Amino acid sequence: MAAEKNYYTIDPQGKLQCVKCGVPLIKGKAKFMYLDNGFPVELPVCPQCGFVYVPEELALGKVLSVERALEDK
Amino acid sequence: MSQIQERGSTHVYKVNRISKEEMDSMVERCVYEQPPFCSAACPLKLDTRAMLKAAAEGDFKKALLLYEKIAPFPLILSQGCEAPCEKACRLCEVGDGVAVRAIEAAVARFGERSKLGGVFRTKKRKTTAIFGSGLFALFLAGELEKKAYPVTVFCEEPDLESFLHCETAFLDEEAFELEARRLQGKDIQFVFGCELSPDFFAEQRAAFDVVCASEAVAKRVYLDAVCIPELMFCEERQLVMGFGEGVMAAAFGAKKAALTVDRLAQKLDPRNTRGSEGAVESRLYTDLSEAETLSRVPLPAAGYTREQAAEEAKRCIQCHCEECLKSCAYLKHYKKHPGLLAKEIYNNTQIIMGDHQLNKPMNACSLCGQCTVVCPNGFDMARVCSGARRNMVSTDKMPLAPHEFALLDMLFSNEEAFLCRPQPGYERCKYVFFPGCQAAAIAPATVRAAYEDLCARLDGGVALMLGCCGAICDWAGRYEMYDKTKDFIDRELAKLGDPIVIAGCPTCKKELSEHESVQLTGIWDVLLELGLPEGAKKLERPVALHDSCGARGDEQVQGAVRTLCGELGCELVDTPYSGDRSPCCGYGGLTAYANREVAQEMTEKCLERSGEAYVSYCMACRDRFARQGRESHHVLELVYGTDAGAPPDISEKRYSRLTLKNDLLREIWQEETAEMKLDYELTYTDEARRMMDERMILTADVIAVLDGFRETGEAILDSDTGLLIARRRVGNATFWVAFTRGGDDGYVVHRAYSHRMQVVKREG
Ligand code: SF4
Ligand code: SF4
Ligand code: SF4
Ligand SMILES: [Zn+2]
Repeated sequence: MAAEKNYYTIDPQGKLQCVKCGVPLIKGKAKFMYLDNGFPVELPVCPQCGFVYVPEELALGKVLSVERALEDK
Repeated sequence: MSQIQERGSTHVYKVNRISKEEMDSMVERCVYEQPPFCSAACPLKLDTRAMLKAAAEGDFKKALLLYEKIAPFPLILSQGCEAPCEKACRLCEVGDGVAVRAIEAAVARFGERSKLGGVFRTKKRKTTAIFGSGLFALFLAGELEKKAYPVTVFCEEPDLESFLHCETAFLDEEAFELEARRLQGKDIQFVFGCELSPDFFAEQRAAFDVVCASEAVAKRVYLDAVCIPELMFCEERQLVMGFGEGVMAAAFGAKKAALTVDRLAQKLDPRNTRGSEGAVESRLYTDLSEAETLSRVPLPAAGYTREQAAEEAKRCIQCHCEECLKSCAYLKHYKKHPGLLAKEIYNNTQIIMGDHQLNKPMNACSLCGQCTVVCPNGFDMARVCSGARRNMVSTDKMPLAPHEFALLDMLFSNEEAFLCRPQPGYERCKYVFFPGCQAAAIAPATVRAAYEDLCARLDGGVALMLGCCGAICDWAGRYEMYDKTKDFIDRELAKLGDPIVIAGCPTCKKELSEHESVQLTGIWDVLLELGLPEGAKKLERPVALHDSCGARGDEQVQGAVRTLCGELGCELVDTPYSGDRSPCCGYGGLTAYANREVAQEMTEKCLERSGEAYVSYCMACRDRFARQGRESHHVLELVYGTDAGAPPDISEKRYSRLTLKNDLLREIWQEETAEMKLDYELTYTDEARRMMDERMILTADVIAVLDGFRETGEAILDSDTGLLIARRRVGNATFWVAFTRGGDDGYVVHRAYSHRMQVVKREG
């Protein structure tokens, strides 16, 4: 099977904790969806409750530019 | 809370809100691409303007390159041309026209010839012959050589010099020498000393694919030869021939003849696909108001020197129509004239699959109508952009992101913050005051003072309506939403007994004038009737009055505000961009939301006019000028002696509207209002506030996130910064708030951001 393509990957490196579950976030699989388009990514995710964290740099950087591009499709 | 449906990407149908024909006729109006008058008058279509520019810059090499495009023998043409361009030069209207011909002569003499640097030109296979001599034959030989036809010239003259001498007596010796050398350098075959008799001609012509002759020879070999002057062709005899007298007739004739040869060589009808030939009328507009009435650089008998020619070329004012680009920051930003921009924007609306690259420009126009006033032809860019926006909405291709904040803000004005009440003691009112959403958001105290004053001084009852006129969805191209808003306002007015609307904002007045059966006036008119109230703040010094784009074309509003300002003691500074020509502050058309950079440039453009304090009669203008650090007053602030103070941020603008509504309900109508209180404490760092304003995040959004956190306990802790970070999806966006706990039961907000994409966990 071909390696799965992820559009973005961040590893929380143990610096982030889920407040509700009291466990560290780990690198997990997530998906961005916008205007009927989906992109697989790897983001910090809580292994228990599934909280997916989108850091500020990502939201204002890559995410914003992809949003703009899709909006003008 | 209200929500607006985000568009999908599958639902596409075509509804054209502007037809192709309509668009073409609009694009046509822009004369930017019309030739300058000199080129239009030149039958050879020299790009005179560009040539003069190059010469003025001292770049004679480039000037010559441009000139040689129409003149295979530049010295001959420039010394002999009758120069119709000179009479057409617009400078003739204020002084001497540019001495184009003399400059051309200097360019031809001093311009360095660019070498074709070993470019190998393949000759065409079809062969051509020219019988005779004289200017037409010479020029035609030059044209055909340029088109890479093998050319053979049969002439009576014994050698090249005598051939060149024919009809060029006006050349000085040096020019003759130069042209002789140029002729030698061309790939033209000569057969000298021919006896150009009918027999000789008949014998030779069969060897060539296309044959041409000077007029004299043509008439000698065929007594009945008749030339069709548009084609330079005798159809009967299949002979390309000369016709007419003078240097220009020869040069233009040779040009037409060369095209005919081209068509014939391809076995095509020489009448077809010739394009525009010869002199044309130009519709170009040139502003001569700043043109100096200088006279020509005196022309010495020997012609201009290089320096003199450059000097004279500098007098060319480079005719261009840029009236709109000079006055509109948006057009200037995109550096495109409206004819072109409109075409591109229209095409943008026709794209079904693929990138809509013109979305941004289409949404950056403030729809202010200034271009239509300053353009000599009334070009209406606002109509183009607003039609395009509606088209994008109707085909479900309009992104919501650029306008969503403004649209939600409008819904807020017309739902949560909406207020409509008759004056206490009246069931039906003669008037209703409609201050406009921005007035309530930016200067609530002024709105209140105005309302109380109107109630006190007008008979028949004055109702109050706090809401948005619908300009926001109109600007966004959301026509369905606009119709709904319009109906809503009409229903509310009906409840009050259809009173006369006293608009507090020129844009509201304009929007409301679209409602049938709504009687309208402006608060400025009412105030002129009633006289200034007590407590009016006289501003006895020069101020720049900024006319609102909503008042464009409405002389009455512009005039009334001027009178009002006069009564307030203001000394008004009017500039060429006052009144109808006034630029937009950047709020119009939702530019401030869709394209902040352009909006900023628009504000700067407005403030360029004067260094004085600004007085405006639209609250949005007042706000944008104050934001820019300029002393800025709304005329109603002066009238009522109120001061809205520092410009509010986006959350304060909402808070003001809600507070105004609740205060008035309690204090004027004695109604209970819901407490707007949080059951926990919330504070913001300065940085968070700044960030929120910049990122269009409301305190309401932050509260939604924290409410969510209090319910679910969902958040993460960043051990690097010690910040808790929670999120919540509100409408079409996810908001993130980074905070710390503070006090007993409270939070300090440090950062906030958002994104529109949805993010979900993925299994596997
Ligand atoms: S003012 Fe602008 S829109 Fe009007 S003709 Fe000139 S370039 Fe075109
Ligand atoms: S002044 Fe220059 S641009 Fe204007 S008509 Fe004359 S040559 Fe053309
Ligand atoms: S911003 Fe105003 S002046 Fe500029 S193109 Fe748009 S409507 Fe015309
Ligand atoms: Zn968890």
